[in-house]
Amino acid sequence: MNTQWSQSYQKRKKIIDVIFRSLFKLAGIVAASMIIFIFIFIFQKGISVFLPSYGPDQVNFWEFMTGFLWRSDQKIYGVLFIVINTIVTAFLAMLIAFPISVLTALFIVKIAPKPLDKIFITVIELLAAIPSVVYGVFASGIIVGWVDNVAQLFGYSTFGGRSMLAVVILLAIMVIPTMTSLSIVAIKAVKPELELGSLALGASKTQTNFKVVLTSAKSGIFAGLILGLARAFGEATAVSMVAGNKPMGPTWNPFDITRTLTSTMLSGLKETTGVDYDIRFSVGIVLMITILISNLVIHRIKKKVGAEGQ
Amino acid sequence: MKRLLSGLVALLVLVGCSAGGGETKPTDNEIKVYTRDGSSGTREAFESIIKLEALTSNSAETSSNGDMANQVSASPAGIGYVSLTTDFAANKLTPVSYEGVVPSVATVNDGTYKLARPFSYVTRAAGDFGSEDKEALVVAFLDYLVNSTEGRQIVLAAGGIVDVEQGKPWAELKVNHPIVEQDNSAIVLKTGGSTSVEKTLTAAIESFIPMAGNFKYEPNHTGSGDGFKRVLGGEKDGANAIDIGFASRSFKSEETVDAGLQSGVYAKDAVVVVVPESNTSVTSLTAAQLVEIFSGKAKTWGDVK
Repeated sequence: MNTQWSQSYQKRKKIIDVIFRSLFKLAGIVAASMIIFIFIFIFQKGISVFLPSYGPDQVNFWEFMTGFLWRSDQKIYGVLFIVINTIVTAFLAMLIAFPISVLTALFIVKIAPKPLDKIFITVIELLAAIPSVVYGVFASGIIVGWVDNVAQLFGYSTFGGRSMLAVVILLAIMVIPTMTSLSIVAIKAVKPELELGSLALGASKTQTNFKVVLTSAKSGIFAGLILGLARAFGEATAVSMVAGNKPMGPTWNPFDITRTLTSTMLSGLKETTGVDYDIRFSVGIVLMITILISNLVIHRIKKKVGAEGQ
Repeated sequence: MKRLLSGLVALLVLVGCSAGGGETKPTDNEIKVYTRDGSSGTREAFESIIKLEALTSNSAETSSNGDMANQVSASPAGIGYVSLTTDFAANKLTPVSYEGVVPSVATVNDGTYKLARPFSYVTRAAGDFGSEDKEALVVAFLDYLVNSTEGRQIVLAAGGIVDVEQGKPWAELKVNHPIVEQDNSAIVLKTGGSTSVEKTLTAAIESFIPMAGNFKYEPNHTGSGDGFKRVLGGEKDGANAIDIGFASRSFKSEETVDAGLQSGVYAKDAVVVVVPESNTSVTSLTAAQLVEIFSGKAKTWGDVK
């Protein structure tokens, strides 16, 4: 009797286990297939404009990849300078935002007195919750004015402040909350024993914070960097509002207008048809590949950083 | 970490140098040319009317009429073009005369202001509407849109340029169209073509529906090129077939609109070149001067002759 009950209990347990395991598997497959479907669709549409079957509007793949001119009105599509512009703006934004974010996180977790760190975390969370279009309105109303004034000091005249510098400042502000919150989580997760050990060996509090805490938290901090960079690359609405969309490039002067991959995809999207519409999918592929490559580069840097002592 | 930091500093210096040294310093009053993105009908109209062959690559793109107004007004040496419906004073813009003619509803109507484009329409061929009732309804609507005072008033209020004075009261025209007296709720009227006409057209149709037996209305506007194609051209029997096609330009010679039951122009839209209010040096520009500016030949306002 007793063994029989036990057997049926075991059996039931196994069935439930199988059901839930397959449920989770299904959820996993659905989530993973999304990215595959999106990629296949974008790839199909994006690649079609380069194939002979596209007809008279067919775009030369080589000219597309190496071009320095984007004139949709003349059916000239060159994407290389746009890729360069995108990378330059995103990395300059990172250059401003990364140190600020990491130091803010360090301050909040290790240095700030208790009531202050709660306030800081709330502020950072609020910043992350602001929609990008609001940042865009702020940038096209306020930041461009600052940039215009700075440019006048240098003797440049700008397109009403719309410029690469405005994009960089905007992106830096936009990625700070993402990077800071991930860095906070990473720094909080550092084991206190490591710190105590460092302090016991005679290192000062600041030395410990920089040499022990930051290097131990590096994988979380770099996860923040990757997410922040992805946001900087992928931000479309706000960037389009201040980029100015210059048809040729690349742009090196920070006070000159620029054109990024996302602003190219967005400009005139609602009204356009034909090859001009389809080529946006090709730009989408280029954007995804650019993000992929930059993520791989960051992974390599991550391995190098803090590895000196090992 | 140290090596990474020094690498970043080196990168910053490099970027700084290339930014400072690579470009020649533009002079202060360099003209800033603003344009619309490549798919804009306003841009197409503007460039084709002034006969601009190649726009300068040193130009900024704006995303819409309002965006253009904002950006030009914020740029002291800027120049751009907007629709005549724009509130110039509120945007701190000065409308510039074209070939000496001040842009206004009156000058567009009498044909002296040349920087204007027509809103054209064409219907399916006679007998090709699927039902006689529908054909009669289309004729009635076009009569209302083109000839009646009421229709013209609505088009004008929605931003189209027409001479309301020339219209006749609908009550007078109505007698020619007995179709509007019966219940037409089974008829679906489809329009398509230019997106620019949509605002004026929808306003007119919506005012017409209760006066003409509550027929149904399906707009599907995708661009001027589709206007002819979907009533008389290659797509006339396809899934996107429409009853009246519109173009925010004149129909081209290869678009044989004579085959349609009716075709014509119901309103005009004017493009106005604007500069910010602070720029008092220009009040009138000719097509040749505009080409000089927009092709990048004239670099500063002093170069514009």
